[in-house]
Amino acid sequence: MIKTQHITKIVTTSEGPLQILQPISFQVKAGESVAIVGASGSGKSTLLGLLAGLDEVSHGEIWLDGEPLHTMGEEARARLRGEKVGFIFQSFMLVQSLTAIENIMLPAEIAGLGDAKGRAGKILEQVGLAHRAHHYPNQLSGGEQQRVAIARAFIGQPRILFADEPTGNLDAANSHKIENLLFRLNREVGTTLVLVTHDEELAQRCDRQLVMQGGKLTEATSRESEKREAS
Amino acid sequence: MGVSVSLAWRLFRHEARRGELTIILAAIVLSVASVLSLSLFSERLQGALTERSAAFLAADSQLRSRYPIDEVWIEVAQSRQLSTAQQVSTRSMAFGQNEMSLVDLRAVSAEYPLKGEVKVSDAPFGSTYGVDTMPDAGEAWLDSRLFQLLDVSLGDKVELGDGEFTVTRVLAEVPDAGFSVFNTDPIVLINLRDLATTNVTGPGSRVTYKVYFSGQPDKLDTYFEWLAPQLNDELHSWRSVGDDDSPIGRSVETAERYFLLASLLAIVLAAVSIAVAAQRYSQRHFDPVAVMKTLGASQSMIRKIYLLQVMLIALLGIVLGIIIGVVIQQVVVIALAEQVNVSLGVWHWRPVAIAVFTGAVCALLFSLYPLMRLFSVPPLRVLRRDLDSGLRSRTLQFVASGGAVFLLMWAYSRDLSISMILFASGIALVAGLMAVTFGLISVGRKLGSGSMGPWQLAWARIRRRAMDNSVQLISFSITIMLLLVVLVMRNDMVAQWQAQLPAGTPNYFLSNITDTQKDRLSAHFTQQGVGVEDFYPVVRGRFVAVNDEQVNTEITKEEQQGPREGREGLGREANLTWSYTLQKENRIVEGSWQGSEPTQQSDTLHQVSVEKEIAGRLDIGLGDVLTFNIGSEVIQARVTSLREVNWQTMQPNFFFVLEPSAMQAFSPTYITSFHLPAERKAELTALLAPFASVTLFDVDTRINQLRDIVGQVSLAVEFILVLVLAAGSLVLIAQVQASMDERQQELAILRTLGARGSLIRLSVINEFIIIGLVAGFMAAVTNELSLYMLQTQVFQMQASLHLPYWLIAPVVGACVVGVLGALGCWRLLSLNTVQLLRRMV
Repeated sequence: MIKTQHITKIVTTSEGPLQILQPISFQVKAGESVAIVGASGSGKSTLLGLLAGLDEVSHGEIWLDGEPLHTMGEEARARLRGEKVGFIFQSFMLVQSLTAIENIMLPAEIAGLGDAKGRAGKILEQVGLAHRAHHYPNQLSGGEQQRVAIARAFIGQPRILFADEPTGNLDAANSHKIENLLFRLNREVGTTLVLVTHDEELAQRCDRQLVMQGGKLTEATSRESEKREAS
Repeated sequence: MGVSVSLAWRLFRHEARRGELTIILAAIVLSVASVLSLSLFSERLQGALTERSAAFLAADSQLRSRYPIDEVWIEVAQSRQLSTAQQVSTRSMAFGQNEMSLVDLRAVSAEYPLKGEVKVSDAPFGSTYGVDTMPDAGEAWLDSRLFQLLDVSLGDKVELGDGEFTVTRVLAEVPDAGFSVFNTDPIVLINLRDLATTNVTGPGSRVTYKVYFSGQPDKLDTYFEWLAPQLNDELHSWRSVGDDDSPIGRSVETAERYFLLASLLAIVLAAVSIAVAAQRYSQRHFDPVAVMKTLGASQSMIRKIYLLQVMLIALLGIVLGIIIGVVIQQVVVIALAEQVNVSLGVWHWRPVAIAVFTGAVCALLFSLYPLMRLFSVPPLRVLRRDLDSGLRSRTLQFVASGGAVFLLMWAYSRDLSISMILFASGIALVAGLMAVTFGLISVGRKLGSGSMGPWQLAWARIRRRAMDNSVQLISFSITIMLLLVVLVMRNDMVAQWQAQLPAGTPNYFLSNITDTQKDRLSAHFTQQGVGVEDFYPVVRGRFVAVNDEQVNTEITKEEQQGPREGREGLGREANLTWSYTLQKENRIVEGSWQGSEPTQQSDTLHQVSVEKEIAGRLDIGLGDVLTFNIGSEVIQARVTSLREVNWQTMQPNFFFVLEPSAMQAFSPTYITSFHLPAERKAELTALLAPFASVTLFDVDTRINQLRDIVGQVSLAVEFILVLVLAAGSLVLIAQVQASMDERQQELAILRTLGARGSLIRLSVINEFIIIGLVAGFMAAVTNELSLYMLQTQVFQMQASLHLPYWLIAPVVGACVVGVLGALGCWRLLSLNTVQLLRRMV
């Protein structure tokens, strides 16, 4: 589903070019869930941005569901995101002037899917917020906002879901609920999940963990290999 | 397209309901409402004032000729739905019982006057009232003065040429009598059909034929286009309301320029407020745009959504602005209806078009750069919140907003110089402010360090937000400068008008006072409690030659626009005076004034100073030798200076002022003037009774007319000022509001960290005080620059320094901006920390 080959990211600073990602290569299979973990400033979010097509690589290749992200312009990447990608963010990133249901409808409308409202209503029920459909984000609690964001991410039944610290702004109880919801929907829809997190427990629930350190992907473990080692 | 429209509409609907569009909407509403109410009001007022000045022409336009005017021209005008009236005038002798006098004989058709009215009174110098009929056949209406000069009463007969007329009315005023208080003869009005019986228009007499026209401006214009090719510049002259060079015409013209200026400044104010609001609008939408892009929205979809939204906002703003603008100006018009004759019924479409155009152009062009910034927000912002727009260059912003302001000014004023002056001042202000802001920042670097008191926090914030603060400073300064320009211009203008006619301005003139009467008259008047002004010696002389070349054609102040036939002269006798002292409101423009010492020149000729305009018309230059016949004597004098005379002062003015030594041989009569309050007018006859030979000129009516108009115009200017001040204050509030929102995040953090409310409040207030102080100072400096250029280039006034405002503007700026900042801060600090933090999300 995702294939990267020697991708790097170099940014220009006042003190000259700075390489924030060393050449990285890995693959993520369809339906797999992958956690990218690492300390702050290790390059996790930069990697996520590149994988999701929000940013451009400096060198190397990224293939997303068979499409060459590294050769595509911003418009083509936007189209690809609209068709195949869902997002969840730490700060929820809901549009403040739209209600909960309208926020959920947004990707479906942008992608031109029919019956956006019906789909949004259904998924809002699935996340248990049907009664909050017409509330604005600032009228919802943090946990509720993130449930709306998850519903928004899944409305288009994306092939891949990227999540940036999805529980980072929530307390333990809410974090747990959100994790469960995320993995449940992920299973039901059969989405490939790539998430960035500090939360070890959340990372453990993923099939694989990629560890970032100083812009390098230093270690890759998977539950399967752990299982093999254990047996 | 469908998705973009529905999303744009949905965002618009929700944001409007949640009050998120208030600032940008208010800015557009304010711009449209202020431009509309100002221009609608000034258009109506101008209409009313034009109507008033038309009254001084007795028509909208006037055609003068030395020869009878072609009847066909009049018929064509009538066929084009223009009203016409005719007048034939000449100077002639009138004979009463035993006396005679030179009069200004005017024979008028029944339609005269087309504008204004003829006023009469029941007794000479009595109270006046308007009439709408003209003298019937055989009737003559005589100026008050003539009753004294000709020793006649109502019902008596007077002879005019070969005709005999019955005096039926005391003529107090005709609308187109002219403003010159001297060199005019008393008017006699008769019916045009009676003119033939007088035989005064025969060969050799100087006759002026006038046709008056009035009607729709476009019809008048097309008629003039038809007529112009047939006119002979030597014989005909065409005058319209706009050509009015009288004191009233000039006051109205100055007022019109002021209204124009005020409206232009309102446009700039509107532009500033929209620019501030658009900036804020754009920043608030960075996140939604990043989210939509992340979710797959294309550039074109984002563009459509936000352009549509801005158009919806502009549309709503324009509609609300028009409603509010109409209401405001209607209220003003109703409030002013008593004092100013503004026609309520007339609806002007141009102001509406201008207001809509202003709203649309401002909303779109000032949103252009903020919108482009919005469109270029990268989707990566969803992960990296510090990323804003990829668009960094502000060139586009300056070009788009500067161009928009200039184009609006030019389109509105159709006056390149006034637009360029204001625009150049604006550019100078912006450049100066940029320099000051960065200067301040480097000063503040030291002040802002150290322990965190309210002043340090304020300086630190100013320093940190250098760019934002410079934008804010510029918008505050421009607003304050515009308010200052409108205020100071109004003060200077009204002061100048009032200086023309200070209280106690002489309203009567006396001439023909003999040397022996002089002291007696002065004593008599003083005894009656009436102060008499200076006495000017006068000798009547005939100006006959320039450098021995004879002159012959008549010309008077009123008839200066007449055609030339060879070397022109005054023909009639002129009032010659002499003095070593230059009269008030006279200025030497060429040569040098005759000093107190007799002339030392070798040719022993005396010196004479000539009024500049008459010198131009009579083709007289420095060094020319003028010959005057005084009685049987011939006097020759060399022109040693040319003078500019302010004819608006209502004081005796002279074309020729000789050196006293030239006139020693002549016994002069004297001219003087005095002020008599309206309520004592009835005492005039008693006052003059002991001096039967003295001639009285009544300029009271003229002065009252002038004062009336100046009063009305000043009042209107006052209202315009209030409107602009109100608009400016609203802009300031909007600016503070917008900048308060930008400070919200910082306040929330400080609050969360446990900063005391008083520390935060004081630091914010101090920050605003500093900004207000600097903005006020910069506004005072640029105000001076703009005023200098406006007064010298546009208003033709004397430029002056306005030092008090150098102190007032910074103090008021600091107070107003500080108080507004305090109010905004108080509103924010009334929220608890959680609410504050939530508003930041």
